[in-house]
Amino acid sequence: MTRHAIAVTVNGAPRAATVDARLSLLDCLREEWGLTGTHAGCEHGACGACTVLLDDVPVRSCLLLAVQADGARVTTIEGLAAGDELHPVQQGFWECHGLQCGFCTPGMVLTAVDLLARVPDPSEAEIREALAGNLCMCTGYENIVRAVRWAAARAGERRA
Amino acid sequence: MSGRAAPAGWVGRPLKRLEDPRFLRGRATYIDDLRFPGMLHVAMLRSPHAHARLVRLDASGAAALPGVAAVLTGEDVARAMPALSPLIPIPTPPRTYPLAVGRVRYVGEPVATVAACDRATAEDAVELIRAEYERLPAVVDPERALEPDAPVLFDEMGSNVLWHDTLTYGDVDGAFAAARTVVRERFTIHRYVSTPLETFGVIAHVESGTGLVTIWSNDQRPGLTSGVVAAALGIPQNRLRLLALDIGGGFGNKRKAPYLILAALLARATGRPVKYVEDRRENLSALAHGANGVMDAALALDGDGRFLAIALRDIVDEGANLQNPTLHSLLKLGNIVNCYRIGAVRFEAYSVLTNKCPSGANRGIGKPAMCFAIERLVDLAARRLGRDPAELRFANFIPPSEFPYETPVGASYDSGDFPETLRRALALADYEGLRAAQAAARREGRLVGIGLAAAVEPSTSNLSSYMLATGKGGTSGVGEAALVRVELDGSVRVATGNVASGQGYPTVIAQIVADELGVTPPDVVVSPWFDSHENPWMFSSGNFSNKFSGTDTGAIVGAARAVREKILAIAAHVLEAAPDDLELRAGAVGVRGVPGRRVTLAQVAGAAYRDLLALPPGAAGGLEARYYYVNPAATRPDAGRRVGVQLTFSNSAHVTAVEVDRATGALRFLTYAIAHDCGREINPLLVEGMVHGSTAHGIGATLLEEFVYDDEGQLLTTTFMDYLKPTALDVPAFRVEALETPSPRTPLGAKGVGEGGAIPSLAAIANAVEDALAPLGVTIRHLPLTPARIWEALRRA
Ligand code: FES
Ligand code: FES
Repeated sequence: MTRHAIAVTVNGAPRAATVDARLSLLDCLREEWGLTGTHAGCEHGACGACTVLLDDVPVRSCLLLAVQADGARVTTIEGLAAGDELHPVQQGFWECHGLQCGFCTPGMVLTAVDLLARVPDPSEAEIREALAGNLCMCTGYENIVRAVRWAAARAGERRA
Repeated sequence: MSGRAAPAGWVGRPLKRLEDPRFLRGRATYIDDLRFPGMLHVAMLRSPHAHARLVRLDASGAAALPGVAAVLTGEDVARAMPALSPLIPIPTPPRTYPLAVGRVRYVGEPVATVAACDRATAEDAVELIRAEYERLPAVVDPERALEPDAPVLFDEMGSNVLWHDTLTYGDVDGAFAAARTVVRERFTIHRYVSTPLETFGVIAHVESGTGLVTIWSNDQRPGLTSGVVAAALGIPQNRLRLLALDIGGGFGNKRKAPYLILAALLARATGRPVKYVEDRRENLSALAHGANGVMDAALALDGDGRFLAIALRDIVDEGANLQNPTLHSLLKLGNIVNCYRIGAVRFEAYSVLTNKCPSGANRGIGKPAMCFAIERLVDLAARRLGRDPAELRFANFIPPSEFPYETPVGASYDSGDFPETLRRALALADYEGLRAAQAAARREGRLVGIGLAAAVEPSTSNLSSYMLATGKGGTSGVGEAALVRVELDGSVRVATGNVASGQGYPTVIAQIVADELGVTPPDVVVSPWFDSHENPWMFSSGNFSNKFSGTDTGAIVGAARAVREKILAIAAHVLEAAPDDLELRAGAVGVRGVPGRRVTLAQVAGAAYRDLLALPPGAAGGLEARYYYVNPAATRPDAGRRVGVQLTFSNSAHVTAVEVDRATGALRFLTYAIAHDCGREINPLLVEGMVHGSTAHGIGATLLEEFVYDDEGQLLTTTFMDYLKPTALDVPAFRVEALETPSPRTPLGAKGVGEGGAIPSLAAIANAVEDALAPLGVTIRHLPLTPARIWEALRRA
């Protein structure tokens, strides 16, 4: 099998690996670089647990090959907090009990980060629409919606 | 009783979770996140047929592939271990193993397994295994499975029936004979499952020399699994160290001792750590399904519309489940009369094998189906009698004055106010307003329906009830174990035999212990993980049947109070005071009414661990206690076969309004209101999260999810593209109100809440859809109510 050298900026730091062509970005993050915060929920593009930001756009890392990320910037859940300070979306999930088992949380949080970057003050319908590609088996979504609203309000306060 | 009092201590406060930061930062440790040097990865060859003889299996190609360390077939496994012993003994248990031997019995059954340097290589190797099958006729339908000429899964059993019995309580025939109205219906219950987002996984390691087997997994019942695995591996239980890490959801599904055994056998064969994590297809086709079935149900009513008796013939399709069948049957006894005064009960139960995925525990096990049947019958009765469905329920509720109330089958309802719960739910939903809006919508030709369901939520399974099916003793009651320890510096650590998979136990336990020891929850660290060599545990340890409030709280309080006694004894000696004059507060022990006379917990612990001569004369050192709590309400079945299958009873009422699109059959929620009562809430924030989540499970089961098998036993739904889970757009916003009627049977007055919404939601939504389609005369008998199915009903009407 051919192997390919790739270079990716992950959470602001340069990373390199030599990978099989068939290696998914998800497996590369987890197995090659030890970033296990990105989760495999289905590995067929249906659950969103593996969501990361690729050049600031949410993608399903199980459906991308690692080689496709060559030269790109990737943000994973591990790269979101600024040191001790959680990102407002992470804080919102904490305040509003937006997670139970936590397995969907990294993908949910990154999807919500993208939503708030595009729509700073989303309605409930917009939040549900944006999150509809991410399955949560635990929360029934209600508190996740509240968490995103909390984060939007917090970001709004900061802008004001 | 109802209504929430302001909490005096930490218990009762809506505290956000102490354990969340690691999950929020992507730093949790789920089983797949753990790796060891030299670790091998496993892939499985699985049966493509529902029923076939395995005539040839040649794994030599796989074994020769570079990177492959070991291959095991069913024959290999059968040589390496004794047959699996069914947890619920049947008279002639067939010999089965973690891999198929000679015959496969469902699509997805493991046939051979490979351990290789990485998962991709292991999967490559699996493709090199040659298996030849000779197909046998499959039995897919549980009623067909009962017929004398049906294909039989296990020849040595002679039939597919695992259990058949009729339990009769009271004068059922007399009641039906005297009835003015009898409502009968046949409901088919479909297969669905909660599908935790994390799949099942295990890592096994065998220490050379000592033979100590260490297994990390996300198995949610370590107490039960430990014995099964040790027996299979032929080692004493003290040589098995079983650990559970962070678990990405459980809901009953996360149990699979055969996978633990296979990983351990591979680790033994290779001398290296071995990891196996299911992929989603394996998870959907072979871990466990909630059982499907057929329920013939009848309700007898007198001339005033009072319920006299219920009769149920219940066929449960266990798939190829020999390990733990009959659960879906037995647990129906917990809510067979639901919230109603019904004097007589007949329950004819069949537990039947078919060529499908083995059934397994799933949020509520059997109780959602039971609630669906009875709450559908009540609605059908209301329609027949021309009465309002809410009013008919009020007329039949067990009144609060009759608690504790023993149902005819021996379930003892501990506390609750069913009429009040329904009143609150109706008010929350604005029932009157909804009816008016419905009338207006109907005038416009729109299909709007209102559905309600009331439910008991039986919790804390009494393991004695299995005796009804097995006739054998040896396992009875239910309990849990806890350890509380004050460390040398005065900080507090707790460990239990249970495992957390999202419930927030570390926070809730910290709240409980903080109150007992006069500290704050952040001062208390609860071991997040289970370790059979460290945590106290017993057979019933683990996460099942909503048992936290009915057993774990007792263990935690018991251990904390024992430590408290020790603290007070040491402090009394140091302060030269009587223990009765002391109080524990703010991390210190003080003499009541004498400010300044106090010792800190650290000082007390100092005496217990280091300054040993400061202890009271003759006292033992150490500041820790273990407590093995046994719920005192459990009994064995009596001579009349009455038994409390479960020990505490929460209750709830769901009221929902839906609109059905005539053109597409699509359904839209107009409102969803829930009133619920799980006794004293230890943490209302987490309780409400459980209510949301469990209701979403029911919504998925009612509207979307179904495992579909074709006539040959092929599973057609093996991905999340065809086994559909509810998204944020499918689940409505909920309106939730809590009542608190404390249980007199649990140490803190708390009752189960984890299954809550998964029980009544099926009936509430089905009742709403039927009400919406009432102008067309449609009766709902099957779930899920997919747009296609509703459209079909509309078309036929
Ligand atoms: S794991 Fe990528 S979408 Fe499910
Ligand atoms: S919190 Fe468990 S899947 Fe979302």
